[in-house]
Amino acid sequence: MMSSKKEGRFSVPELLEFNWRMWSFVLLLLLAGAVLFLNPVNPYHGYVDPFYSPTVFVIPIVALFRVTCYAYRKDYYRHVFKHPLACRADIRGEKDNRAYSGERTLFALNNFHRYFLYAGILILPFFYWDFYKSLIWQTGYFDLRLGSLLLLFNAILLTLWTVSCHAFRHLTGGRTDCYSCKAAPQFRKKFYLGQSFLNKFHENLAFISLVVVIGVDIYIRALMAGMPLDFTFIKVLL
Amino acid sequence: MQTVKLKIQRSEPSSGKKVSYDEFEVPVEEGMVVLDAVHYVENNLDPSLAVRWNCKAARCGSCAAELNGMPKLMCKTRVDTLGDHITIEPMKAFPVVKDLVTDVSHNYEVAKKIPPFTPKPEMKSPFLINQIDITRSKEFRTCIECFLCQDVCHVIREHHSDYFGPKHVVKIASLDLHPADCIDRSELLYHEGGLGFCDITKCCQAVCPEDIRITDNAIIPEKERIVDHVYDPIGRLIRVVKGRKW
Ligand code: SF4
Ligand code: SF4
Ligand code: FES
Repeated sequence: MMSSKKEGRFSVPELLEFNWRMWSFVLLLLLAGAVLFLNPVNPYHGYVDPFYSPTVFVIPIVALFRVTCYAYRKDYYRHVFKHPLACRADIRGEKDNRAYSGERTLFALNNFHRYFLYAGILILPFFYWDFYKSLIWQTGYFDLRLGSLLLLFNAILLTLWTVSCHAFRHLTGGRTDCYSCKAAPQFRKKFYLGQSFLNKFHENLAFISLVVVIGVDIYIRALMAGMPLDFTFIKVLL
Repeated sequence: MQTVKLKIQRSEPSSGKKVSYDEFEVPVEEGMVVLDAVHYVENNLDPSLAVRWNCKAARCGSCAAELNGMPKLMCKTRVDTLGDHITIEPMKAFPVVKDLVTDVSHNYEVAKKIPPFTPKPEMKSPFLINQIDITRSKEFRTCIECFLCQDVCHVIREHHSDYFGPKHVVKIASLDLHPADCIDRSELLYHEGGLGFCDITKCCQAVCPEDIRITDNAIIPEKERIVDHVYDPIGRLIRVVKGRKW
């Protein structure tokens, strides 16, 4: 068994360190969870809030997909746990008397990321379905509104984030060692190259898609509260 | 004439000389790199200053040091990118030999543990290699062994664990992704290599002078290989059914 070579020195266990960042983060997550579960949004004028699509019970799955994503892992290990906060010597916030086990104990659970990826892929089509439904919410009409476009934008960003996932990259192409050995590697090769290109932007996509999904949720809540934020681009009788 | 103030860490453990800092003022020339400034000190102000360098072209990886706290190559960092006060220290993750020279031999011990390229037994010649396979493993072959990534990695620098370190994962990935190689070294990384210690915080990727996407292209793919074998229940099942050890 491998170990840290610091025997004989006392360190406060990792999760018991005095860490206001971690506890505020936990509090924030609990608050956000409570808000989402206690104030659910019902479909409003044909709009389904992405947090509740297809049901409120996807929230924990989607949350775990985010939490185990390599992009967010990097960010919370850095900014919540300060292992390390930054790379430069004077501001890295890392000390050799701090306990550290990396992804070998509790955070080894992050290795199940691919299962949340599978679940995430299953949920994706619902966002496009919601966009489609929002277009035809009034029987007999085709109604293209700002909200519908936001739903579509959100669906596309979630798709890009999911497709650029590192686990997805591994499962669909990364695990292949020898493209030269395949009889017709053309399609898989192109797919892997395209996916690797997207993967470079995975961290950006992770954050943009998070901000947009929260934005759409707030937007729909604002509409429900009666704010005049929606307008129609095209409305035609079918 | 414009000048720059260098603050250089001095020490020599073998003769008991403790860590201290010396300051020097060096005239700045157009396009000057930090190594030029250090050479100016060595040639004109204090010939006892020890510094290791070789190519002065970011090729040999000898001149790695910490410039204002960031691991960088002295020969690839222009003085005018760092302001008029530059602190130059040796890499902190390795024992100092003298002044800016560190003993990086531990890395060569780790490198010996990595099984070398082992061609598949059924290889036919000539072996026609697809461009995508070349591109994938070529990125890792640009490594100049400067060990900046090893230096910045908190797992090695602060936690002194037995983790092989990013440079060696790069080496392992270059072999594992090679189309003609038949060994899967992720097992070594999981057990002896301590890859679980890496928390993918990407400082290694940030400092690599060759812009190797160490974390994205080497570490995470190796982690995913370990997931295939160790954490993924389906992968484990396949392993048991096929009677494979790894
Ligand atoms: S990503 Fe991993 S190997 Fe690279 S610096 Fe961070 S902990 Fe070290
Ligand atoms: S991977 Fe990059 S930083 Fe690390 S030793 Fe090689 S060239 Fe240097
Ligand atoms: S002197 Fe060779 S890399 Fe700097």
